[in-house]
Amino acid sequence: MQPEPPSVQPPEGPARIEDEAELATRARAGDRAAFGRLVERFAPQARRVARAVLQDPHDADDAAQDAFLAALVKLDQYDPRRPFGPWLMRIVANAATDRRRRRTVRQVEPLAPELTGGGPRPDREAEQSALGDRLRAALAELPNRRRIAVVLFDVEGYSHAEIAQILGIPEGTVRSEVFHARRRLRELLADWR
Amino acid sequence: MTTGPMTPFDHRPDPRLGEALRAALEPGDQAAFVARVVAAAARPARTLDVLATWARRGLAAAMAAAAIAGFLVGRGGEPATIPEDTLAPTSAGAASIAFVTAARPPDASVVFTTLVNGSR
Repeated sequence: MQPEPPSVQPPEGPARIEDEAELATRARAGDRAAFGRLVERFAPQARRVARAVLQDPHDADDAAQDAFLAALVKLDQYDPRRPFGPWLMRIVANAATDRRRRRTVRQVEPLAPELTGGGPRPDREAEQSALGDRLRAALAELPNRRRIAVVLFDVEGYSHAEIAQILGIPEGTVRSEVFHARRRLRELLADWR
Repeated sequence: MTTGPMTPFDHRPDPRLGEALRAALEPGDQAAFVARVVAAAARPARTLDVLATWARRGLAAAMAAAAIAGFLVGRGGEPATIPEDTLAPTSAGAASIAFVTAARPPDASVVFTTLVNGSR
């Protein structure tokens, strides 16, 4: 079976679920190209979610890889009537959280003085980079579950119900976690305009 | 990072916050990562990994067995030794039977006392 070219955009809605289910079925049957397509489709969000948990990009990529390999082994547990993303993100979140528990805790670098306001405003590119540093540091201050919830909601576009399924918590708790995360992030970033 | 009319209570994704977070978490080379994962999936499990898994399982089983054995032994309490009354019977034969059937050897002083009493 020939893999589709990477430039093809994934379908949306029910067609997407069907497409993912078919890819998962083929991957389970040993089709490496199908597994590659799934990895290609979900790698960006898996890596972002893992990075939200672990901060370190290398650790995050290791966790994301572990998650994809674990998903491949567990594909028989995937319900093809449901979207693949939430099922996979649960594995990613667990893999990243496990790795975070296992590793030696690394201290989050304190924000540089020029990032905490008051200093001269750097140029656009440096500004974006500084905003990234600031956001990552702000995320690192949040509890793990809150961090994952806000990234899944505001970055990856998952619904509260899907995030509840991913994190194994009630939907109301997800709403609360997203609310608190947003409030904290906005406080930390209030002077950044 | 304020987003105008949006509040933390909003049940819609916040596009500005989302965009900023996405940029902050954006990973590097996607193609290299995909190739790495696909290659790892194709790689057969290494012998050492398999052995390590077996070793972990064996160790866990041994610990469980030791815990169960410890529980059973502890639950049984101290095996009874021979009470002095039993060792001072009216006949020497009964004392000998008690010595033979006891789970643990009696205290040396008990044996000595019994012997001394028996010789009188």
